[in-house]
Amino acid sequence: MMNMTSETQRSTNAALNVRSVSKAFTARPVLEDVSLTLAPGEAACLYGVNGAGKSTLLRIAAGLLRPDTGSIRIEGWDAKEHPETFRRHLGLISHASMVYAELSVQENLVFAADLYGVSNRVERIERLLAEMELTPFRHDRAGILSRGLLQRLAIARALLHEPVLLLADEPFTGLDVEAVGRLIRVFEEFVGRGGTLLMTTHDTRLGLRCSQRAVVLDKGQFLLNKAKDEIDPERFADDYLSYARGEN
Amino acid sequence: MKSVWSGFRAVVVKDIVIELRARHVLPTMIVLGLLIVFVLRLVSEPSSGRAEMPMMAAAALWIAFLFSGLLAQERSFGVEQQNGCVDGLWLAPMDAGTVYLAKLTANVVILSVFELVIVPIVLLSFDLRIEGRWLDLVTVLALGNLGLSSIGTLFSAVVQLARTRGSLLSIVVLVVLMPMLIPASFALLVLLGAMPDEVAGSGTMAFVGSFKAARGYMLAFDAVFVVACWLLFGVIVEE
Repeated sequence: MMNMTSETQRSTNAALNVRSVSKAFTARPVLEDVSLTLAPGEAACLYGVNGAGKSTLLRIAAGLLRPDTGSIRIEGWDAKEHPETFRRHLGLISHASMVYAELSVQENLVFAADLYGVSNRVERIERLLAEMELTPFRHDRAGILSRGLLQRLAIARALLHEPVLLLADEPFTGLDVEAVGRLIRVFEEFVGRGGTLLMTTHDTRLGLRCSQRAVVLDKGQFLLNKAKDEIDPERFADDYLSYARGEN
Repeated sequence: MKSVWSGFRAVVVKDIVIELRARHVLPTMIVLGLLIVFVLRLVSEPSSGRAEMPMMAAAALWIAFLFSGLLAQERSFGVEQQNGCVDGLWLAPMDAGTVYLAKLTANVVILSVFELVIVPIVLLSFDLRIEGRWLDLVTVLALGNLGLSSIGTLFSAVVQLARTRGSLLSIVVLVVLMPMLIPASFALLVLLGAMPDEVAGSGTMAFVGSFKAARGYMLAFDAVFVVACWLLFGVIVEE
């Protein structure tokens, strides 16, 4: 009873509320009755082996995939009933940068700002260019940027409209140590300002550093969904490694 | 409303800027158009008296316009496939209909540039004059442009988003456009002096009847095409 009450409380105050979501691709179930609630200012990390359903869950949470059953809400806005308001509240960092190679760094940000109708776009763009240390590259075409710079541009694009929820699909992939450090700072600042973060990674060390909740997805279902202070980080890392190797 | 307009304008400007920079389609369109005009001018030479020239010119113009136009439409959503940009588009807080209208507008602009190049070349190659009917010519070409672009934009989305074979686009678009090509050909033949403004009797052209009716049919087809494609686009994207 106590648990139910606290879960209901979490749902009503939720920044992200994934309720009983199932998804199958050509009759192969990828997600089965998955529910997840994140409060404002909460960061959660989703772990799981390849094919566990992490990216599918993130794409559903972003409204890019329609679940077979269940619902997604961001700050109470349902993805199906209020798609435009729903999308206005979220930012996505995915495997793909979502930037146009022929446009410059600045033009890509201006385009994104116009898509979202960002009112103070000049100031927002200037601030993000500075925060992501992209100012010297502002006139360079995105097509010639390195992987790290492209990732910074993708992050700037995702944060431009000041979303309340940031979804990040394996955001550390291909980044050097310095870039990883910068990205962690960006995530910490975002969550510190009251933003909600849901990210996926295979790196438990980075995941635990960036989040307050660990969620392990296996064969479309949650194997574990616990606050960081409820788990032993060392043991979690070892257990996850064994699980990923298929030892249990 | 302000944000819808801002999103619409952003997509149109982005598509045109990318085309001007990358020159994905315009050069290919113009070369293909010139080839078509050149071949038809060549084959019309031995047989023709002056009487056949306007007919060959009308054929050259619509064939060049159709096939070059299809090239442009096919690339329309191709540009969104790079770096997963299409996801960025669907994540934006605007409805699919606005994305469709923006893409359609960009395609109409690109096709208009092509028309600006190819029409004078056709008129010069076939030694034809448009006697004081430039406004009618612009209207007919604009209506043809809108018809082709409305269908082409929708099927480009189908082809690119479903990763279907590109050849499907040409076949389907041509079949769907067929009813509009009849009044379009009629109108152009009248403007190039191959036919009188009004035709009576039997046959396809007589069915159209007059230049005014041809223009009306084209306008009606455009309205149906744009509204139907705008509605269908949302359903296709959703699926």
